[in-house]
Amino acid sequence: MSTLDARLNALVERDRDHVCQGYGPDQVCVRIVAVANLPSRFGDFRIVAFWNNRDQKDHIAIVHGDVVGAADVPARMHSECLTGDVIGSLRCDCRDQLEAALVKIGQQDRGVVLYLRQEGRGIGLANKIRAYALQDRGLDTVEANLALGFRDDERDYAVAAHMLASLSIASVQLMTNNPDKVKQLEQYGIQVSRRLPHLLPPNVHNRFYLETKSRRSGHYIDFTGTPHLQEQSDPVIVEGMPD
Amino acid sequence: MPQDTIVVGAGIAGLRCAGALQLAGRPVRVLERARTLGGRCATRRFEGQPVDFGPVFLQGLPGEFLAALHQVPGPQTLWPLRVDGAGPPCQPGALDAGTIRLAFPAGLRAFPDHLAQGLDIRLETRVTALRLGASGFQVETADGVEECRDLVLALALEQSRRLLATLPSSAEVDGIHALLGMFASEPCLALIAGYPLEVPAPAWDLLLPENAPALQLVAHDSGKRAAPRFRTLVVQAQPRWSRRRLEAEPGLWAAELLAELGTLLGPWARQPLWTHPHRWRYARVDAANTLTRPIQITFPGGQRLGLAGDAFAPEGGAQAAWWSGFRLAERLLDAGTQKEP
Repeated sequence: MSTLDARLNALVERDRDHVCQGYGPDQVCVRIVAVANLPSRFGDFRIVAFWNNRDQKDHIAIVHGDVVGAADVPARMHSECLTGDVIGSLRCDCRDQLEAALVKIGQQDRGVVLYLRQEGRGIGLANKIRAYALQDRGLDTVEANLALGFRDDERDYAVAAHMLASLSIASVQLMTNNPDKVKQLEQYGIQVSRRLPHLLPPNVHNRFYLETKSRRSGHYIDFTGTPHLQEQSDPVIVEGMPD
Repeated sequence: MPQDTIVVGAGIAGLRCAGALQLAGRPVRVLERARTLGGRCATRRFEGQPVDFGPVFLQGLPGEFLAALHQVPGPQTLWPLRVDGAGPPCQPGALDAGTIRLAFPAGLRAFPDHLAQGLDIRLETRVTALRLGASGFQVETADGVEECRDLVLALALEQSRRLLATLPSSAEVDGIHALLGMFASEPCLALIAGYPLEVPAPAWDLLLPENAPALQLVAHDSGKRAAPRFRTLVVQAQPRWSRRRLEAEPGLWAAELLAELGTLLGPWARQPLWTHPHRWRYARVDAANTLTRPIQITFPGGQRLGLAGDAFAPEGGAQAAWWSGFRLAERLLDAGTQKEP
């Protein structure tokens, strides 16, 4: 067993009886419960499974290099999106955002992707499909999306902050285009040494963005050019895109 | 000066919402089409003996909802203690360890009755249509028109949707109308059967038959009562079975339910002294049919329409109704204070 594996496995041992008052309004508390190698097409990773005290959704950290106790660790928060991540849906940019993060982190000395099992940012899969159905009919409204469960990321930051703390990561370079994420994480005691813009490489699907002269502020536009809810709470920036 | 707020529906959600608004100093009137309040949290008396024929018990994990149940005056009992059969309960977590299940010997309607204390409630007032005025709503009832600035619909989601459709079309109204159309309540045909006390006492409080053709549950209702005159059973049919017989003559499906009850419990169960059928067209929502919070639409004139009910909080049931009513009141009060100059 390498030193790194030993260090990660020691966290499992350490967390066996971990209890704390929890993070955020929901007082979410997580424990590292299992660690394994995860070689992937994007690089060499280890996958870290987290139990939490709020629901049955086990969050995971996809770790590259030695992050335990390290400072300035490149980190990316990603909300689960079955349709984008797995099926390659063009209704969102989730897959591109996830891939870009894994590729970038895989090329560096170390880094971590927190994969948060909150489908559609808490909306749940069935209700997310309902939101899509409303979009298809041109009938989606902010109120309808909120009622379906689409919410702000408060809970994501709490659980992400606890996960980073559990990994004993001293400070992170947060990969995001959303400066608010930095503030939110810092509120939960995570030291963010830097924000790294999260740029997507241009591809056939996101070329659209390069041709768009002006972006409507606060409005998310998917690869098909349809405005709707933003699934990663992170504005898309494609390399070479006009400001 | 029109009424500040009208709440349509005196079920758990409507009463909870109205109570929270009134506590904050908002004048509220509740309109209810039925002769009694409580909505689906229903108790009826037979020669003085209460029978619960909506939910047969109320339950919650330790927390605010359970605390609210404990505030209901009068005796309370832990019920059901003996559950037989491996069929699914109506609410997914109802039988989980840690969940406290309660019944009131006076009937479960004691809970909405308690929530209704001090509220202005008009019974037997059916709302037929809504109209949008310059600065408020006009609520059409069989007895005339009531006016209010804010309006809350606290009904089964299909009923709220029908009233919503009487308002002029707008992006918000059409969007919410379409949204609600993606959800559906389940029906439940229920039969109350009264027997002499001499018939065999069931070995359970609640029976959830696993493979019964029609029955979802049988509750030994008289087991909840202090000094029952009758042995009473409440039979509730499965959603699919109920849906197919929803428009049928109640005598027909009541006979089918009694026959199945006889097969399950013995021939005596086919011969009650009396029965009372009840059709719940919109009995409950399943976990796949819930929104996560109440809805509020603000119209250009500042009029606000709120929707709450068991489908407007996760998991459905009385607890969801209660929370949605409270959360809607919070939203209405919050936005109201922000609007003040």
